[in-house]
Amino acid sequence: MERARAHWAFQRLSPSSPPVSPGASRAPEATPVDRFLWAALSARGLGLGPLADPATRLRRLALGVTGLPPTPEEIEAFSADVRRDPAAADRWLERFLGRPAYAERWAQHWLDASGYADSNGYFNADSDRPLAHRYRDRVIASVRRDQPFDQWVREQLAGDELAGWKPGDPVTPEIRGLLEATHFLRNGQDGSGESDGNPDEVRADRYYALEACQQIIGSSLLGLTVQCAKCHDHKFEPFTQRDYYALQAFFHPAYPIDDWVKPNDRVVEAPLEGEREAWQVAEQRWAEGEARARADLTGWLAANRPPIEPRWEDRFDAPAGLAARWSDTAPGDDRPAGSPPVVLGGSTGPAARVQDGVLQLIEGGGPGDRWLCTRESFGWRPPEVGGWIQVGFDLVALQVGDAGGEAARIGYVLAARDFSDSGPVAGGNLLIDGNPGGPSAVHLDYPGPDSKSLGAIGGQGYRAGRRYGVRITRLEQDRFALQHQVDGLPDGKPLTLSAADLPDGGFAFEFCCGRSFQVDQVRVETSPRPGTAEGEAWKVHEQALAAEVCRRDERLAVLQAQRLPRPGRVAWVSDVRPTPGPVPLLLRGNPKTPGEAVPPAFPAFLGQGPETHPVAMPTPGGRSSGRRLAWAHWLTAPGSPQAALLGRVTVNRVWQQCWGTGLVETPDNLGLSGAAPSHPELLDWLAADFIDSGWSLRHLLRRILGSHAFHQSSAPRADGLAVDPSNRGLWRYPVHRLDAEALRDLMLAAAGVLDPKSGGPYVTTPRNGEGEVLVDESVPGARARSLFLQRRRTQVPTLLANFDAPSVVFNCTRRARTTMPLQALSLLNSDFTLRRSGEMARRLERESGPGEGARVRRAFLLACGREPDPVEAAASLDFLARQRGLHATDADPAYRALADLCQSLLALNDCLYLR
Amino acid sequence: MTPMHDALSRRGFLERSAGNLGLLALGHLLASGRPAAAGSAGRIVPGGAVPTAHRRPKARAVISLFQHGGPSQMDLFDPKPALNRWDGKPYPGGDLEVHFNQQAGNVLGAPFAFRPRGQCGMELSELLPHTGSIADDITLVRSMTTGSVDHESALRILHTGRFLAGLPTLGSWVLYGLGSENENLPAYVVLADPGGLPVDGERNWSSGFLPAVYQGTPFRSGKTPVFHLQTPTGIPADARRNQLDFLARLGRHQAALHAPDNSEWQARIAQFETAARMQGAVPEVMDLSGESAATRRLYGLDHPVTAEYGRRCLIARRLVERGVRFVQLFLSGQPWDTHDKNAERLKGLCAMTDQPSAALVQDLKARGLLEDTIVLWTGEFGRLPISQGKDGRDHNRHAFSLWVAGGGFKAGHVHGATDEFGYQSVQDVVSVHDFHATLLGQLGLDHTALHFPHEGREASLTDAEVTGARPVPALLA
Repeated sequence: MERARAHWAFQRLSPSSPPVSPGASRAPEATPVDRFLWAALSARGLGLGPLADPATRLRRLALGVTGLPPTPEEIEAFSADVRRDPAAADRWLERFLGRPAYAERWAQHWLDASGYADSNGYFNADSDRPLAHRYRDRVIASVRRDQPFDQWVREQLAGDELAGWKPGDPVTPEIRGLLEATHFLRNGQDGSGESDGNPDEVRADRYYALEACQQIIGSSLLGLTVQCAKCHDHKFEPFTQRDYYALQAFFHPAYPIDDWVKPNDRVVEAPLEGEREAWQVAEQRWAEGEARARADLTGWLAANRPPIEPRWEDRFDAPAGLAARWSDTAPGDDRPAGSPPVVLGGSTGPAARVQDGVLQLIEGGGPGDRWLCTRESFGWRPPEVGGWIQVGFDLVALQVGDAGGEAARIGYVLAARDFSDSGPVAGGNLLIDGNPGGPSAVHLDYPGPDSKSLGAIGGQGYRAGRRYGVRITRLEQDRFALQHQVDGLPDGKPLTLSAADLPDGGFAFEFCCGRSFQVDQVRVETSPRPGTAEGEAWKVHEQALAAEVCRRDERLAVLQAQRLPRPGRVAWVSDVRPTPGPVPLLLRGNPKTPGEAVPPAFPAFLGQGPETHPVAMPTPGGRSSGRRLAWAHWLTAPGSPQAALLGRVTVNRVWQQCWGTGLVETPDNLGLSGAAPSHPELLDWLAADFIDSGWSLRHLLRRILGSHAFHQSSAPRADGLAVDPSNRGLWRYPVHRLDAEALRDLMLAAAGVLDPKSGGPYVTTPRNGEGEVLVDESVPGARARSLFLQRRRTQVPTLLANFDAPSVVFNCTRRARTTMPLQALSLLNSDFTLRRSGEMARRLERESGPGEGARVRRAFLLACGREPDPVEAAASLDFLARQRGLHATDADPAYRALADLCQSLLALNDCLYLR
Repeated sequence: MTPMHDALSRRGFLERSAGNLGLLALGHLLASGRPAAAGSAGRIVPGGAVPTAHRRPKARAVISLFQHGGPSQMDLFDPKPALNRWDGKPYPGGDLEVHFNQQAGNVLGAPFAFRPRGQCGMELSELLPHTGSIADDITLVRSMTTGSVDHESALRILHTGRFLAGLPTLGSWVLYGLGSENENLPAYVVLADPGGLPVDGERNWSSGFLPAVYQGTPFRSGKTPVFHLQTPTGIPADARRNQLDFLARLGRHQAALHAPDNSEWQARIAQFETAARMQGAVPEVMDLSGESAATRRLYGLDHPVTAEYGRRCLIARRLVERGVRFVQLFLSGQPWDTHDKNAERLKGLCAMTDQPSAALVQDLKARGLLEDTIVLWTGEFGRLPISQGKDGRDHNRHAFSLWVAGGGFKAGHVHGATDEFGYQSVQDVVSVHDFHATLLGQLGLDHTALHFPHEGREASLTDAEVTGARPVPALLA
């Protein structure tokens, strides 16, 4: 504890003033940062380097501040400006700091540190966090308006308590922002929504979410590895096991293990005034429009459908006839399906009977698979290409009588042939799991272990009063399309089946899981033979129908695009009860061995302050314990050691983003076991200056990026290499690679296709059939900044992952920067780089005219942020000439050659690195 | 100061561990793995003759045949006559830890006959005739234990030493410690089941907090085993060649001008050529047409039940032959998770995996590769002596069996024992952490010295201070 009390990072700030500049001629613009660096360097006989050339400086500024490259026009203007006036660089810095791209770039850094993800993680399902993007956007807003960082921290820890808001109270934009900020506390992995093991496991899963929250607080705000103290006193740090549970006691009321709220339920409706009403009106309008579009087509169909003789039909007009046409077995199957089998004419489930002119399917009789099947077998493979067979039924009701509630599925089976599933017969038994809630799953060879899911069809849910079914159409090469139909109209995209999937067999209704329902008018129809009068009439009709469907779909798409998202849903954190229960210390960190209760308290090696920051209800009659707000006030208490620590941790991380390495190389650990700072006085001075500025990130960046050191050359010098080869003293600008997001964004910007989208739901990044994770280029936002791509823990876009984008476990306070062949493969062969290269070539054709010299020059400006030198220009022209010849058989050899040049430049170190 | 060292010290996380082997191994990889000197001991790092391993290694490569789901030890490896005596009766041993507590039943008999195999007389189930034929080459551990009865967390313990998700896997640690021997192939290759990903997906070969260069590279079946491997269609070969030349020319020019002392730049320039060579090397290793008919038969490529798994076992051998350090085979989903129809499903699974697994050991041995290649056959946990439902077995973390061959493990040896019912390991118990420590030791790596700074401390695979992991000399020859 003595060592801890004396540890540099736990002291109050008492910064020394910047050393007096030695007045060396090589540092004309000695800022405080330069003076600290210079003092340390000159003690080793070194100094700062000369200024880098203007283009290099601008590229550092632009990418460092905004994460986007400078435009060719900016490069020209900056060079002219700084030649005229050396102080012009500061004005450019200011310009970049004022851009929306700055807020996005620096939001990304905080999202890394705070462990932001669009998925819950923990279990393999890695379920979605559809509302997390509101937190991401809230971070961007906070950076954009340069919110004091201490206030931002308090809002993230206790925004709900600061707001003193209860569900149902009026909501202002400020209040909603406060609620959104609390999402910080739920950035950790949380599998408690899917947890299904034994009670001990469920409990451990809940604790994990709370512990993840503590770990992120520890590494992002305190710069301490608190998680080690979960099981035992920290081996290297003064943070004790009791400290760990005392910290837990502040956050436990929001995550009470025995009063758990699952992640999906940690959501509150907080629409602004009028927002909900406006949305409801719009939704009403949408629903009416949709119904009208659908009704119009149904009406058209009723008026225009040519008559057709059904292949098979049951109108259920006579109660007695059921057994003549239906059976409890499939055609040809030797045993009844299920035990007990369906009783035809019975009234207790499992039974099927005709009542009031409809067929009632009454479920019951315990678990097991059962069907009611036609006695007749049908051929499900239409003989000629384009021919079809369809089956449909009117869905009369989703239950029989009042018992049991509505059926969760309306299951029916085509090509039913093997109910007992006694042999490994492949194909047939095609189950359509009609879903009231959306698309219907399709299973082949159901039931049994050899059953196979084929995907889903349709999209409109099953509702009483409409007609449902499927049509099978023969395609080329012995393939078949399975199309869902609602009211005789196609619904959604079809699935493709093979001939083996569709043996001859019956049509059946499935009995399962307490799902009783009533149907009528079961009809099997086949396409009229081509060449006949009937066939020709149908051909004309189907063409007209397709056109009508197209028209309707366009109407629906327009309506859908105009729909507004449900307003004001916020994924937040708040205390579950205002008076929390005791929080036990867990022996060896094990939830199964709770020890004594630990009250909330602050760690002894930092400043105390329960007196000054009492744990109290923020508002009388409020819904919160006030604990988190008390902790937030403690952490940011002016003049305290803990606020000094927060300042140091934050300044160090910002320094790391600017230079590639922090003043302390372990940004998540400023404790006794962390690395020692390379420039302790500079770190403390910057932290104090940051706090004095009102915790302003813009101010801090002006200090760092306005220094001479940031603008100095990266060229090696003999004295520096000899004395400080690792450049920890910063005698030159450290060469370092751009991170994955900056690389992708740079390529989009160079290609001229960067989407200005800023905020809103993420752009999905699915895994394709090959296993590659990538953005579908056709979706809106596909070319948005990487910040707006889905950040699913288990599904990092392959291109970004290759360049060390993290798969978020807790959080990421420092990116790895590897060099591996997969990166070269991505740059050479990925769809993304090929597309961008092509687009960049088109851009050059557009913007540079036909002269190849001008195109090469602009290509270098776009990719490398500078003009080519004579060697590069000559080599590029030579490459273009030769490449045109090698693409001679292509339709446009000049374009192909130019695209190859662009791709090459985007793959060069001089593009991938800041230097 | 060599250029290599300079480049490394520029990387913040490495400087703190300067001098440790990981630094050197990483340097080795960053330089894109210049082929090592002949022989397996003492990898040479460019710039100096520094052995990357801590001790003289017995093995230089690992093939892990992972058996997802928890193979039933009492039906395969660990004969328990008491089970048949008590079949259908309440389990007499008191409370059992079960995963699905509603379905716990009575003792479930083990219907398969065991008999002694090989000169060593190792008793193995009739379901494993081929494994029986390599009994004298393997070490059978019957006394394994692990920390979780949940699949995902047990997988993570087996692969990463911890039940948390997202940590570096065994293969990543091995690679971090030993570097690569073949510059044209990834050093850690995953041969996933063409039928689908295993449970817990890509995390099974994650490099976690270790740099991404240490992650496993899945080779998919089919024409493009690696993403972005092939030159896209429509790009003529000579045009691509000219582009690579242009890249090299400009790359060297720019490096000389702007970063003359930066070896990361040098490595990246070289890697465009490496990437181009991988386009040839990867398809070559996947192409089995040069294998003899006898070899193909040995692995069961001539039979539909064994062909797929046999093909991957054979590819594993080819990878190791070419200097790949760690090969990991997976099954789709978790087939050994026999919650119902235990006996029936074991028959099918053994029919698929028994022959190819044994063939791999035989083939490696015949080619002299088994000496310095470790073959590991294990699941994430075992199963219970009682029934779940009618005819299934639930998860068991207190006892499971694994076998390991080659690389200096004691051939024809049975280690440890479980109780009368196979519920708990009781004699010479080996934790997963102990096994990890032993395995690393055979590769010449001291498990307490193979660490990497993470979350403010030196993290390791075995975390011996917490887990108490120690190597098990009794497993070694």
